[in-house]
Order: sequence, then C-alpha cells, then structure tokens
Amino acid sequence: MRVLVVEDDALLGDAIQAGLKQAGYAVDWMKDGVAADHALGTEAYAAVVLDLGLPRLSGLEVLQRLRSRNSSMPVLILTARDTVNDRIKGLDAGADDYLLKPFDMGELAARLRALIRRASGKVDLLLQVAGVKLDPAAHRVICREQSVDLSPKEFAVLHALLLSAGKVLSRAQLEEQLYAWGEEVESNAVEVHIHHLRRKLFPELIETIRGVGYLIPVDKAD
Amino acid sequence: MQGHSLKRRLLVLALSTVVVVWVGASTFIYFDAREEFDEVLDAHLAQDAALLSAQAAHELDELETDHAPLLHKYARRVAFQIWEGGKILRMHSANTTQRHLADIENGFSDSVIDGHRWRVFSAWDETGQFLIHVAERADVREELARDIAGNLLEPLLFSLPLLALLLWVAVARGLRPLDKLAAELERRDPETLTPLDAEAVPREVLPLIERLNRLFTRIDSTFQRERRFTADAAHELRTPVAGIKAQAQVARGATGAAERNHALDNAILGCDRAAHLIEQLLTLARVDALDVAAAQSCGLRDIAAREIAVIAPVALGKGVHIELPEGDDVAVRGNPELLRILTRNLIDNAVRHTPSGTTVRVAVVQREGLVSLSVCDNGSGISEQEMSRVSERFYRPAGTQASGSGLGLSIVRRIAEVHGAAVHFSRADNARGLCVAVTFRP
Repeated sequence: MRVLVVEDDALLGDAIQAGLKQAGYAVDWMKDGVAADHALGTEAYAAVVLDLGLPRLSGLEVLQRLRSRNSSMPVLILTARDTVNDRIKGLDAGADDYLLKPFDMGELAARLRALIRRASGKVDLLLQVAGVKLDPAAHRVICREQSVDLSPKEFAVLHALLLSAGKVLSRAQLEEQLYAWGEEVESNAVEVHIHHLRRKLFPELIETIRGVGYLIPVDKAD
Repeated sequence: MQGHSLKRRLLVLALSTVVVVWVGASTFIYFDAREEFDEVLDAHLAQDAALLSAQAAHELDELETDHAPLLHKYARRVAFQIWEGGKILRMHSANTTQRHLADIENGFSDSVIDGHRWRVFSAWDETGQFLIHVAERADVREELARDIAGNLLEPLLFSLPLLALLLWVAVARGLRPLDKLAAELERRDPETLTPLDAEAVPREVLPLIERLNRLFTRIDSTFQRERRFTADAAHELRTPVAGIKAQAQVARGATGAAERNHALDNAILGCDRAAHLIEQLLTLARVDALDVAAAQSCGLRDIAAREIAVIAPVALGKGVHIELPEGDDVAVRGNPELLRILTRNLIDNAVRHTPSGTTVRVAVVQREGLVSLSVCDNGSGISEQEMSRVSERFYRPAGTQASGSGLGLSIVRRIAEVHGAAVHFSRADNARGLCVAVTFRP
C-alpha cells in the first residue's frame, strides 16, 4: 500500500513516514501544498494523510483540487486546528477522516486501514479469498488454518491483489504500491514476490495474465 | 449617583419654565394694571373734584354742614370735603373727619387717615371760594390689580397637574428612540460586537452610537486577533508535541538500533524546538502586556556585542560569520532586557535563515539624530510581499527550511513598538539577503 503524507513540519513528517513504514506502507512525503498537488496529479495512492497548514498551497486547497479531478482517493486530514468549524470545513471539502494532533501512530495506521478498506468496497475486516485470510490490522496471513510468515513487501503485494480481487493489476501498478518515491525498485522484484507468495501459500492462488499482470480470481463461494 | 431620570429632569425643567414665565407675566400685569388704574382713577378723582366744585358754588349756600349719604358698598372708600375759604368745612362725606384730607391745596397727594392710606385730589373751585378734597382709599387700587393678577394665576394652579401629565406623556414619547436603543443594547448578547444601526437613531445620540460602534469594532478586532493568536499558538504547540510523540512511537516500534536512535534523536530535537517555541511565546506574552518600556539609557552597540558573543559559537557551527564593525557605543532610551531580546531575535533570525558560508552584518549607527540597529544577511532573501508579512505571528515564508517559532520578528516588532521605534525590512545591499533595521527616535 502506497500512501502520501503531506506535512510541512520536518520532525513530524519524518515520524509519520517512519511510523507508516513500520505499519507496512510505502510512504511518499511532501512538505508543501504545490508538491503534494503535483504528486496527487501523477501518482495513484491508496490514501493521503494531509496537514492543513501548508506552505505555498493550503491543505484544503490541495484537497479541493484533488476532488475536482474526480478522484475518490481516501483523504485523512491531520491537523492541530481543533475547532468544530475547522473539522466541518475539512470534511465538507472532501476529507474522509479527521485526526487531531498530537495523535497516536497506531490510531493513524488503523484509520488509514479503515479508509482503504472502505474505499475498496469491502466490509469484512479480513480479506478472504480461496481460503486465504489477510488481516491488515494484525499484519497476519492465514492459509488453510495455518499462519504464514510473509515479508512486508510480500504482504503488501498480497494485500493489493486481495483488495482488487477479480481485477488484474499490472506489474507497474504493483510496483507503485510497493515503493515510495526515491526508493530503489529492484528489477523483477514483483516477479520474485509473486513467486514467494505462490510457494508460501499455494501456486493456483495468483494467476498470471501474460503481458498484462496478475490477478487473484474471486472464488465461486464468495 | 445612579440613574437620575432624563424624563423627570425634562419634566421638571419644562414645568418650572412654565411656572416662571406665567408668574413673571402675572407680576408684570399686576404692576402694569396698577399703573393704569392709578392714572384712570386719578383722572376720576380730578373729574369728581371738578363736578363738586361746579355744584358747590350754588348749592352749598343753604347748608350749614352736611353729611353726604353713603350710597354704594365702595362708598366708604371714597370721600370728599368742601371747605369754604379753606377754613370752614361746609360739606363732607360721612366717612371723613373734621380734619383736612390733604395738607396741600392743589393737585394729588397721599395721606394716612385712621391708619388707611388715601389718594387725595385737592383743588379750589373756579370762584376761589371753596377748597375741595376728593379722596379714595389706596387699597382699592391694590385690590383691583391683585384681583386681575390672581385671575391670571388661578388657572395656572389648576392646570399645572394636567400640564405635568401631558408633558410626561410628551417627554416619554420624545425619548422613545432612547428607550428603544437602551432595550436593544440590553437584549444584546455580550458576545455580539456587530455595530449598532446608526441610521435610525436621533441626531443627538449619533455621536454616542458612533463612539460605541468604534469601540465595538476595536474590541472585535482585538478579540479576533486574540482568537487567531490562540488558534495559531495551539497549532504551533501541537505540531511539535505530535512530532515528539510520533517519533517516540516510531522508536518503540523500530526493529533496528539505527532506526530507533534516529527516532529518539528526532524526539529530543523536537523537545528542544518545543522548548524554544514555548520560550518565545512566553516572551511575546510578556512583551504584549507592556504598554511602555521602563526607560533608561542603554548602549545599543554594547548589547549587540554581548548577544553576538552568545550566538557566535552556534553560528560558526553552521558556517555563518557574524560581523559588528568597530565604532562608538550609541545610547538609546529603553529597557535593557527587552532590547537584549530584540537584538538576540534579530541576529538569531538572520543566522537561522542564512545558508552556510555567508555573513550576518550587525550595525549600530547614528544618523540625523536617529539611532538604528540593523542586521543584514546575504542569504536567499524574501520577496516584497513576504516582507510585509514576516512580522506576523507564526508566519514563515514558503519553503522555509530552518526550524523556528515563527515568532522572532513578531517579538522584535512588539518590542520596537513599546520603544516607539520603527522596524524596516529591505533587501540587503547586494540585492540578495534580508536587512532588518530598527530605528529609534532619541
């Protein structure tokens, strides 16, 4: 899962980036509104953590521009402005959630999970397909009643495929979800992760559509 | 004294005016009437005397002395005497004595007889045989004049209560706009600071309303400034706390020593920054509370030198040099502690926002009676538009990399204000960098 963090405070931004990485997200961090607007116009993020008081372009403005591009990307506003009026303004501008500083890293990660889950249209907290259960909160995967150990990147690939179960994700789309800006993308990394997933879970789980990408088919029981 | 009533005051004033004018008019009429009566009645006396003298010549021959009968209720107040040759009383009215009514023999005179004042006209008849006195009690005249004045005053006495009632109603109606205004103010939520409607009020109250509205506007802007400052302060304080907390949580969740140490270092840095911010906020709050600085003579160059000595090690660590050209100390009047804070903030601000390898120039100069302290850097400078905003609280120009409270220049401006000094921002000589000059009037 790749998320965008927009925060102008160096220490806080650094902490959010590190904390969300620990929670298994690939994190891009932008320090001003213009850069954030630009990133949102070019990249597909699973969610955005947005501060309101930003230099160059306010957070609300960034949000309005995002919504005017018809994007339904989940946005969580993270701000120190605590009046009801501020919250109303933020939510009305198109935010999906609102978290007040200072906040708890665990809560921020949980809210992001909830936003991403809701955006994918899933109600169940656990993503289940073909006997594979993925718990995004606990970062745990269970296959045929057995707990399976996955690396963070493998987990992220499985998470992305399960979230869009029944749809094909291209290699580029998966890479986008896995790596933040500036992070070194190893060539054929996605293939390696898919290979490991097939070995750790079961080979038929992930299908390869040659020249297009990968998909986890929605099983008949679902 | 609480609440003396404007209505009662107006009523009392109006009523006393009516009474004074009415009584004055009656008094005037009384005296005027008396004068008129005197003339008319004197004329009557003279005419009566002429009549008597015409008759006396041929009718008194038969009489020894005679009492003329009293024929009218006022007759006791009218009297006459006819003296033959001025010596023998030949005829007189019943209410006179054997004495002459007047001492003179010709014209008008006043005399007192039996304790009463009389007006007397005396004259000799045409033949020079009889001296005639015609007299009238003076109090008759007074009574008449008093009656007329009384007739005038009586209706006043009766109409005064009615007049008071009508005036009360009129005054109440006249003052209704005031009542409405008072009611509107009373209904007002104390938080409401919108201006009162100046259109509907009477002209007399307009200055009051305008003053009130001006006061409302001023209080409103003060409130808004305070509210904005509180909101900004909350924002500025929460952010570093959020950073410290998040860094601490990252440290707890870290899997490697390097990641943990990085997070912990950042948490400590966050604490330092929060402490600096709190320090600046407290300074600003303290300076805000001041109206005027306690003034004593302060050596500005000396203060600058001391502050540079404190900051220089930090600056050198950043690769920034600070210069203070040689020169005589220049004194200004002010609070040395505040001037120290002002100088430190100016230099600190310049050092913070200047890249490594540059120089911050501090100068204290006296020119044309003005003393100015200027701090110039040759950093990246700021735009004209930003210059007008940099002393706003918590304002940081876009792209500011350096950490800071956003309060330094607010503190500088506030301290300058209490010293009656002006703060001026300009581009440094080399067209790059920023110059901040604080100019003191002697």
